[in-house]
Amino acid sequence: MPPPSPTDRTERARPLLGTHVAIRVAQMAPPQAHRLIDAAFDGIAEIHRLMSFHESGSDLYRLNQQAAHRPVQVDAETWRVVSAAQAFSRASAGCFDATIASTLAASGLLPCPGGMPIPDAGADWRDVELLPDHHIRFRRPLWLDLGGIAKGYAVDRAVEVLRQGGAVQGCVNAGGDLRVFGPELERVHLLSAATSNTMPVLEISDAAVASSGGDGMHFDGVTRVGVDRRIRVSVVALDCMTADALSKIVLANPGLAESLLPQYCAVAYINDPHGDADNGWRTIAAPEASSC
Amino acid sequence: MAAVSPAYAVTYLSLDQAQALMFPGALLTPASKILTAEQVAAVEKGSGVRMSSPQVQAWRSVDGGWFLLDQVIGKHELISYALALDASGVIRQVEILDYRESYGGEIRVPAWRKQFVGKKSGAPLLLDDDIKNISGATLSCRHITEGIRKMLAVYATALAH
Repeated sequence: MPPPSPTDRTERARPLLGTHVAIRVAQMAPPQAHRLIDAAFDGIAEIHRLMSFHESGSDLYRLNQQAAHRPVQVDAETWRVVSAAQAFSRASAGCFDATIASTLAASGLLPCPGGMPIPDAGADWRDVELLPDHHIRFRRPLWLDLGGIAKGYAVDRAVEVLRQGGAVQGCVNAGGDLRVFGPELERVHLLSAATSNTMPVLEISDAAVASSGGDGMHFDGVTRVGVDRRIRVSVVALDCMTADALSKIVLANPGLAESLLPQYCAVAYINDPHGDADNGWRTIAAPEASSC
Repeated sequence: MAAVSPAYAVTYLSLDQAQALMFPGALLTPASKILTAEQVAAVEKGSGVRMSSPQVQAWRSVDGGWFLLDQVIGKHELISYALALDASGVIRQVEILDYRESYGGEIRVPAWRKQFVGKKSGAPLLLDDDIKNISGATLSCRHITEGIRKMLAVYATALAH
C-alpha cells in the first residue's frame, strides 16, 4: 500500500438520514480511506435504521406505537440519544422538546402516519420515562421525534469510527450539520436568508456546526408557538449532537440560550434579515466569554 | 470582501472510481439501453417518477450484478449517483458521484473570520470561491430517493429478464 501523502483527500457522499451525508478524510492513502469511509457510512446507516421516525422497523417507531402501553426495550444507541434529548430538555426547562410532534399532530399540523396512536396534545418531555436496561415508557400517548439530534449523533459516531481507524484529519457533513476533526482549520460558509447577499465564513477545527431555522418548522417547547421563519441560527459546539440541540434552543429562546451556551463551550450566530446588526448577523456567547 | 460565484459543486467519485469501488476487481461490460415508449410508460407507472430520457446507462458484472448511473435535477441542484444491484436486483450500494448546487444571483462573502475552541491560526483568511462546506441549506435527498425508485422500476421492466 502506498504511504499517505499530505495531499491525499478522499471524499464520498451517500443519501442517508433524509439528506446527503458527505465524509472526507485527508492525509490517508485512498484505499485505506475508502475502507474507513465505508465503515463510517455503515455506522450512520445503523443510526438511521434505529431512529427513523417514519420507518416501521425503527426503535423510534416501536416506541411511538407501544411505549404508552408498556415499557419498550431499545438499542443502546437509541437509549443514548433519548437520554441526551431528555438532558437538553431539563437544561432548557422544556424549550428543547423532542415530543413537540405530539402537539403538532394533535392540532392537525402534522399528518398522522397509519398505525400510530393519536398523541395526547398535552404530552411533553416529562412524560418520557427512562427505565433500567434500556427500557423506555411514555406516561401518555406521544410522538418522539429525534430528527436533528439523531442526525448530529450519527455525525459524531462517524467521526469516532474514522478516528479509531487512524484518520487524523477529516469532516463528516450531514446536510449542513457537520463536524471537523484534526489539526487543520476547515472553512464553513453559513447560508443567510434568501434576501441576504452575504455568506459569513467560519474557520473551525475539532468542532461541529449545526444550523436550524429559515423554514417555519420549529417550535418553542414551552409555549408551543412557532418560531419566526425568517430567523436562522448556526451553533458551533464541541460535538454535532450538542450543536444541533442548542441551535433549536437558540432559535426558540435566544435569551435562555445566552446563559446555556457557555456551559457547553458553544457559540451561536443568529441571522435575522430584519435585524440591524452586521448584515443581519449577531453573535451570542462569544468564545472569549466562555471558559473554553 | 470578495464576490464569489454562488455555486457549490463537488465531485466525489469519477465513473471509473465508482465502478472500481462498487464492483471491486470485477469486469463490467457496458449494457446501456434505450427503452421503448411502452417500457418508459411502465417505469413511470410503476415508480410514479417521470423519466427525463429513455436512455438507461447500465453496466453488467460477470456475477450478474448491475451498475446503474443516473442524474437527478432538483430546484437548485444537479446530482449524479450510481446504484449497485446484485444479480437478483437488490440494492447493494448507492454512491453520489457529483453534486452541483446553485443559489442564483451573486453572494458577497464578507471577511468574517471566526475561530473556536481555543485554536489559533496566524494565517490570514484568503477569500476565494472554493466553498467546501455550507451549513444552513436545507438539503433533501428526495430527488435521489425518487431516482432510486425509478431505477428499480427500470430494472424490473427492462433489465431483469
